[in-house]
Amino acid sequence: MRIIWFGTGSVMGVFKAKIQAMVGAPYWRVLLLPVLLCAAVPQQRDAEKDTTAILQANYMYNIAKLVEWKDPAMRNGNFIIGVIGSANLYQELIKQYSTRTIGKQPIEVRKLPRTADVERCHLLFVGQSDVALLPEIYRNLAKSPTLVVTEYDGALDDGAVVNFVRVNNLLKYELSLANASKHDVVVGLTLRNLAHRVEE
Amino acid sequence: MTMMRLLAIAITALLGLAAQAQPDLLVEALRSYQAGELMKARLLVDEAVQTPAHAQDAEAWLLRGFIYKDLFKGMPGGEKADEVRDEALNSLMNSLNLDEAGTYVDNAVQAYDFLARSCFNDAAKALNEQREDRAVELFTKYKAAVLRREPQTSLKARETEFYNALGTAYTKRFNQQRQDTSWFLKATEAYGHVLGIEPDNYGANYNLATLHYNRGVYNIRAIKAEDDIPTIQQIQEVSRTYFQQALPYMLKAHELDPTRRETLLGLEGIYYSLQDQDSSERYRQLFELLPPQNDN
Repeated sequence: MRIIWFGTGSVMGVFKAKIQAMVGAPYWRVLLLPVLLCAAVPQQRDAEKDTTAILQANYMYNIAKLVEWKDPAMRNGNFIIGVIGSANLYQELIKQYSTRTIGKQPIEVRKLPRTADVERCHLLFVGQSDVALLPEIYRNLAKSPTLVVTEYDGALDDGAVVNFVRVNNLLKYELSLANASKHDVVVGLTLRNLAHRVEE
Repeated sequence: MTMMRLLAIAITALLGLAAQAQPDLLVEALRSYQAGELMKARLLVDEAVQTPAHAQDAEAWLLRGFIYKDLFKGMPGGEKADEVRDEALNSLMNSLNLDEAGTYVDNAVQAYDFLARSCFNDAAKALNEQREDRAVELFTKYKAAVLRREPQTSLKARETEFYNALGTAYTKRFNQQRQDTSWFLKATEAYGHVLGIEPDNYGANYNLATLHYNRGVYNIRAIKAEDDIPTIQQIQEVSRTYFQQALPYMLKAHELDPTRRETLLGLEGIYYSLQDQDSSERYRQLFELLPPQNDN
């Protein structure tokens, strides 16, 4: 989990001392209390503030809606989104999307163990911290209708169908139609048109 | 006011009037004041300073200042208390201006400064009660009062302290009512006021950065599941603007104090949200290198 979030004004310690010296009255305490309560204390990055995870979760939900799985078996039962690595993305998916459906299929979000022995799912996100697992994951899923989503440079060349990329301080995605085809999924026109880059 | 000083005033007044046959209004006012009859003392002293004998009398204005000061101290606050405090300040200032021999300067200055400080103190109280307009009004009174007695006084430090606190109060409001962006603008203006006076003010730089960063995060946080890809891209672009606006302030805060972990954490967060992983990681590592005691 990454580190993030900061509150307002530890500088108020200075203010506190000066006001105390100046007014000699108790009001500085009540004035400063709310400020001190939200003063910066380093914490682990809260999932609520992990902007990348929030954006990725929404992108993944939209990708799920704009891709068609040809395999009839994938059109029944739960719509499974597997996550390896990003705890915040997993939490975000659970919180915002786990009660929704893709078509008639209820979304099921699974936090998968850090192993290349991946169970079958519709979408599989593998975070940057687990890139080392990917070569084996690509091999294991070569003939599976699982759409692999990644976030590292060169991922489309390696076998990912969707890869998150950072462009001009924005999070976007790139697509490989060839890889999609290998996994028996059809990428809708909208998803193609909105991609930062599409590999045919 | 010390008893000795009260006595001195009383003796001076009585000696000065000993030759006169009828009781003087000022003497009567002083007696009432000493007896704790402030309302009666007020009426008498108001009348006294209208008379030719006391209109230019530093002592009379000093007594009036003390009577009004004590009346103010007994009031719960509000507009009427403001008026009474203003009268006290005006009277004490009159006394200082008329007192060429400097007989009453120490007492007048002490009382005057107490009343000026009370304006600042009340401004702080108003901020705490989320009455920001009132706080600004009182702080303006405080400044005017201080500068009236000592026009050369530098209020830079007080001004930066107050406007930093005001910015924090507006930020708190904005955090409570995210849809009302007027609070965001007011907070930005308050911190901007500080930076106009003191560009190197650490707190204003840090707080402005945080304000913008948090707004960018909030926008992204508000993305709904129903939002399509073009919508989330638009939201990202708006948030990017806030993150970009936050960055120079946080960099400045870091430059002003490179040992503060909070700014390293802030920079890590801003770069992370700007999708600049390398920079984010660099500041995270710097953050981890600094010992936690630097958070104080």
